[in-house]
Amino acid sequence: MSIEDFRADAMRCSRCAYCKWMPLDLMKSWRFSKGCPSIEYGNFHSYSAGGRLITALSLMDGRSTVTDKVRDTVFMCNMCGSCDVSCKICRYDMEPLQAMRELRVKLVEEGHLPAALAKCVESLKTNHNMLGAPKERRGDWAKTLGIKDLSREKAKVVFHAGCRYSFDGEQSGVARTAVAILKKAGVDFGIFGATESCCGGRSYGMGLNDPVKHCAETNLAKWHAAGVETVVTPCADCYYAFKRLYPQVAGSQIKVLHMVELVEQLVRDGQLKLTKPVTMKVTYHDPCHLGRQGEDYVPWNGKEKKIFGQAVCYDPPRPRYNGAFGVYEAPRSLLQSIPGVELVEMERNREAAWCCGAGGGAREAYPKFSQWTAGERIEEAEATGADALVSACPWCEKNFSDSVRHGGHKLKVFDILQLVEQAL
Amino acid sequence: MVANITELTTIIAEDRFLDDPPLLKSFAQDASLVAPLRPRYVTRPETVEQVQALVQWAMRTKTPLVPVSSKGPHRYGDTVPSVAEAVIVDLTGMNAIKRIDRRNRIAVIEPGVTYAELIPALAGEGLKISHPLQPRANKSVVASLLERQPTLIPRLNYSLPEPLRNCGVVWGTGEVAFTGEAGNGPLSLDEQWTRGQSQLAAWGPNATDLMRLVTGAQGTMGIVVWASVKLDLLPVVRKVFTIAAADIAQVTDCVYKLTKVGLGDEVFVLNRARLSQMVEAQAGRRAALAAALPEWTLVVGLSGAALLPQQRLAVQEKELRALAQEFSLTVGEGYPGVSRTDLTAMLDGFCRPDERAHQDIFFLSTLDKVAGHVASVQSVALRYGYPVADMEIYVQPQHQGVSHHVEFRLPYDAADARQAAMMEVVYHTASDKLIEEGAYFSRPYGYWSELVYGRDRNSAEILRTVKGILDPENILNPGKLCF
Amino acid sequence: MEISRDAYRAIEDIVGPEFVTDDPALLDSYAFQYLAELIRPEHSHFMPRPWAVVMPRTTKEVQAVTRLANKYKIKIKPISTGWYHWAAPLKDNEPTLQLDLRRMNRILDFDEKNRFAVVEPYVICAQLQAEVMKHGLNINITGAGSSCSIVASACAYFGAGPSSFSMGNNSDNLLGQEWVTPAGEIVRTGSVSSGAGWFCSEGPGPSVRGITRGYLGSRGGLGTYTKCAIKLADWPGPASLEVKGRPPGYRLPVPENFRVYTIGAPDWDSFAECYYGIYDNTLGYIFHRQFNLAGADLATALWLTYIDPTKTLNDVETAAADPEIKAINEKARISFQLILAAHSSDGIELQDKILDEILTATGCYKVERYCDKDMAEFTNMYLQRMGHKHCNFIWAGGYMGSWMQAGKPDWVKTYVPTAIETFKNDQDSGLLVQCGGDALMGCGSTLAGGGYYGFEQFVSYDPADIKSVKACVKHMEDAVVTCREKGIPYGKEYLYLQVAWPDEAVWNALARAPQTFVFDFQRKIKEAFDPNGLGDRNYPWLPEGWGKSAASAQKE
Ligand code: SF4
Ligand code: SF4
Repeated sequence: MSIEDFRADAMRCSRCAYCKWMPLDLMKSWRFSKGCPSIEYGNFHSYSAGGRLITALSLMDGRSTVTDKVRDTVFMCNMCGSCDVSCKICRYDMEPLQAMRELRVKLVEEGHLPAALAKCVESLKTNHNMLGAPKERRGDWAKTLGIKDLSREKAKVVFHAGCRYSFDGEQSGVARTAVAILKKAGVDFGIFGATESCCGGRSYGMGLNDPVKHCAETNLAKWHAAGVETVVTPCADCYYAFKRLYPQVAGSQIKVLHMVELVEQLVRDGQLKLTKPVTMKVTYHDPCHLGRQGEDYVPWNGKEKKIFGQAVCYDPPRPRYNGAFGVYEAPRSLLQSIPGVELVEMERNREAAWCCGAGGGAREAYPKFSQWTAGERIEEAEATGADALVSACPWCEKNFSDSVRHGGHKLKVFDILQLVEQAL
Repeated sequence: MVANITELTTIIAEDRFLDDPPLLKSFAQDASLVAPLRPRYVTRPETVEQVQALVQWAMRTKTPLVPVSSKGPHRYGDTVPSVAEAVIVDLTGMNAIKRIDRRNRIAVIEPGVTYAELIPALAGEGLKISHPLQPRANKSVVASLLERQPTLIPRLNYSLPEPLRNCGVVWGTGEVAFTGEAGNGPLSLDEQWTRGQSQLAAWGPNATDLMRLVTGAQGTMGIVVWASVKLDLLPVVRKVFTIAAADIAQVTDCVYKLTKVGLGDEVFVLNRARLSQMVEAQAGRRAALAAALPEWTLVVGLSGAALLPQQRLAVQEKELRALAQEFSLTVGEGYPGVSRTDLTAMLDGFCRPDERAHQDIFFLSTLDKVAGHVASVQSVALRYGYPVADMEIYVQPQHQGVSHHVEFRLPYDAADARQAAMMEVVYHTASDKLIEEGAYFSRPYGYWSELVYGRDRNSAEILRTVKGILDPENILNPGKLCF
Repeated sequence: MEISRDAYRAIEDIVGPEFVTDDPALLDSYAFQYLAELIRPEHSHFMPRPWAVVMPRTTKEVQAVTRLANKYKIKIKPISTGWYHWAAPLKDNEPTLQLDLRRMNRILDFDEKNRFAVVEPYVICAQLQAEVMKHGLNINITGAGSSCSIVASACAYFGAGPSSFSMGNNSDNLLGQEWVTPAGEIVRTGSVSSGAGWFCSEGPGPSVRGITRGYLGSRGGLGTYTKCAIKLADWPGPASLEVKGRPPGYRLPVPENFRVYTIGAPDWDSFAECYYGIYDNTLGYIFHRQFNLAGADLATALWLTYIDPTKTLNDVETAAADPEIKAINEKARISFQLILAAHSSDGIELQDKILDEILTATGCYKVERYCDKDMAEFTNMYLQRMGHKHCNFIWAGGYMGSWMQAGKPDWVKTYVPTAIETFKNDQDSGLLVQCGGDALMGCGSTLAGGGYYGFEQFVSYDPADIKSVKACVKHMEDAVVTCREKGIPYGKEYLYLQVAWPDEAVWNALARAPQTFVFDFQRKIKEAFDPNGLGDRNYPWLPEGWGKSAASAQKE
């Protein structure tokens, strides 16, 4: 794929600007009606998905060149996919999210990767993580936990903690919680500890093709060697990489579960009992990569065909990723099975969720934008009257925690597993 | 320049230029406080061509023209010349009902057509027009709508000029052009009809809404030679209800809800003096009747037309009763001395000739402010010794209840110099006070024009620009509004 | 084409440097506009590029930028949500500032009792509707859909939609405007100008709004509307739309006091009779012919596919060949959607009875499959929120609306067969989507209370395929010729095409209008309010004396 493959999408963009809003049908107020953090912050049309399609066309046609401003319009975006959902309500087969990523690829190839992102990519290369942390410390979080080390042992299930939970001291407790839950449920699993490697997913979002392929190949090889059939992760970004990208870039067939899916199943099957009341009113934030982008991968290798003269469809039929079948119900059902928890919804939920602001390299390259995005979500969560904002992704939680801290908010931020742990 | 009519007489016969003193006198003054001024002639054109020739002649000769479509008595000074040597263009003779289109519910009428003529003609076709409360029988329908007189059925008042749709206008430029949808077609109604064109859509032509520029204009922009008016089905069953209140605030929320949900045909509020004035033919009995009536009455007319009319009426009645109950109000069908027939007659009737002079103060406002307006006018009346009990008040929801026409009618004895002087003070003081508290004098007759345009120089300036375009020689009713 | 550095610096000083740009790629995102490829040289998707884009936040900033534009003789082109080729600069090499009003996005006032809201240009219909529904109120969402600006539909462009039958056109619902003239004056119209509040758009005396709020409005051609008050309608439904289902075919449950029907007619005469029945009986909270935008041959196959989130457009092909769906499609061929609403169960039952009587009398019927729960809920969603407007583009990414002459129903039915035939013929090439000649969509009435409507042909073409683009242009030209030959007024396509014409050609066309008074009037208004010619011919005018003799000879 390259941006050229999306030329037709660009020409077919109706400039309707649905991509700027949450799905119009779902809109419940003025305050929380927007869908795209990028356009809300950047304002010029080029900061929207539709605008980027036009930028792509303009660049491809040689009408303009990449300036610093253009680079900002391309990279100051969370790759959250809200635009993609809204666009596809009517523009059924448009692929604005994919096109925006290909536009990034083009810019990266032409040497316009923002410096902050270049640093991440460098860290990925040298330290196999996105955080610039020394790779040796990756397994520290689990050192004392006595978990099977799959670089030496075998298990059908691998627990992949991901970069944030592995390295961020403030957050790695969640990884420990996760493994405690798995143990309690009697799951036979292991980890790679210090030899775990980044999923590569975030680099893909930043506009690079090679690192994710490399990560996929490395990780899959390790997993196969350890007899792994299922990978479980508490990180939405990793989940997306394993589930959607690995089959695409490396033909992966491994089963992928997010921790919420697994735990919800365990609770449903009675293997885990949530008995202790956790008296709390919570609202759940759908991570983009678990929610609307968390749909199953369907292999497709086809081409456009026309029916009824000019109607555009695909041969064979092309899978539609429009957020209809993301992972929405498992986390909600899990929360509702915790005694004492009252779940209230934010206006923008499920496929219409507002992004945390951490995606697409925005946290690293455009920290102010990223924090503003998180702040918007914090306000939305507060408007529900919830005591806590619960999510299922370390990147979301990090951005929210930072925002809560800087903004002096009272709202608590939890990973869903932390509440499960309290209820066990 | 003294108007020289000879060059016109090939088009309008000389004998249609009348200057006999009693006639001129009758146009020199009306019932308002506007200063009298005698016109030079009264002329009665009969065709569009004649009106056009008249305007072109007036442009050449700089002769002021004052278009008048209704027979008197006039009330608001708009037909009294403001400058000397004016020619009254009396359009009452152009009174053809040119077309009634039952299927599309639209009629095209000339300016001289009166309510007394139009209403029965429409009834004959099973149609009706939403009209003002007890119009003068000889009131021109077109003039009434051009002046945005309030109409009785707020539900049908989709915009304030409704049911006025298109107009044929001889503009102050001497050109004839149609407004609205009709402005897109040939300059001939017959041709438009042959092509299947209706005169339904009020907007346009193009980016302009020419109709909006002749409404509220007191004949200062152009002379309307025909208009299309939107019609509704004539009810086959009908009931009129009354809801009594001691204080207008008690019915306010009910009126809001009625107009919000669009329940009812006629919806308006009268105080006891006004209700008594309208239903009691005998002047001598009115005070007693008024005293026996509740202070305020909300009148709601319900009807059924088209299919299942009886059932329609029954459902509406049920909904009305439920709605009134929400506000702890009781729905009645009149009072002792105000029978059902009286109420229906009130809705359908024409006003009686004035027995006494009266000064009217009317404006638009929102309903939540009306109680305050009433208190203000009453306090002014009290201050200057006007008997508050005589004050007739009428509140008419307009534009589906978003705005409200509020009307104070203050009868007095014009022959009594002391009373007349007092009335002038009351009128001015009350108007000043009202405008301060947000009353909108959207039809700024007489004194109000100074008041309104003095505060709204912006509109005045733009309207003068528009006037300069549409009436470059300033021949059409000069001296009115801000011109 | 660069804006002078002095002018640019001055604009930066007014709005702040982050809210102005002249970066070519960013400007291109404004030059790219819907329909451009139909009229631009070499079918480019780009209209002329503005020389800078400016984002004012306040009326004062709009005024300051406008005054500056006068000083530097730069044209201004405001957009709110901004859609259509004429939203971009119309001419190449003409210095133009695009005013993107998206930062003016507040609901300034909401008066529940008096039923109006005051909004800035970037408030969209869906936002305001969501807010006012909490209070039992609604707004008339125009056919352009709920992603569009209220100010645009009320002040500056056509204002009708599916609910206009009951709620009126937004030109009727307009209660007052704030307008920054091209000369840089701030004008307010109606009661607000008198300091009395925003509740009335008429007067004092004649209504100033009359000089710009006509049929189409001035479409950004005569200054900038910075706020307006809009009348709100009754909403007898729930305080919040509790939407069900997965994208794209969201569903809105039908409350007990509502009914959602698709009504079919055996022929166009019966359609008209049914229309008159509905009109006389004042039925219909929403009255619209929506689903036929997909074409009468394919509509059922498309919509039944669309509401199933597991399907793709490929499934339409199979569905269209399915005899059962074909049969439904025939029933729905001449059909429209009707939503009834009442305040009581008696009320809604009575409406049902009346509707049944009308149907019996006219030979029309409810199309059962469309009235089933899934389709009814989808219909309810579609038409109440108008959040699926851009399904117009679903077939191939290109949609152009031709025809759309409005009038009384008896007249509309006379041009419908011609519109169908012309379109059908143009589909034969295979270069337009072959969905049947009747892809006629339109609201039940563009006027409040009904009685007046028109149909727009939804021509679907592929903007990424130059042959298809050309076929669309050919269709536009064919429609114009057909109208001319048959004495039908020109439709929308004629307006679209004119965007590309040189001034002289447009003026010649205007001069041929049966009545030219308004174009002379508009010239004078332009001279008065736009002395430096900052606005474009979206507010059209005729130069003094233009084509007078020739035109009078040619008048139709
Ligand atoms: S929603 Fe899709 S079609 Fe519409 S402007 Fe955005 S990218 Fe273009
Ligand atoms: S991915 Fe998210 S931030 Fe980026 S354009 Fe789409 S909605 Fe906006």
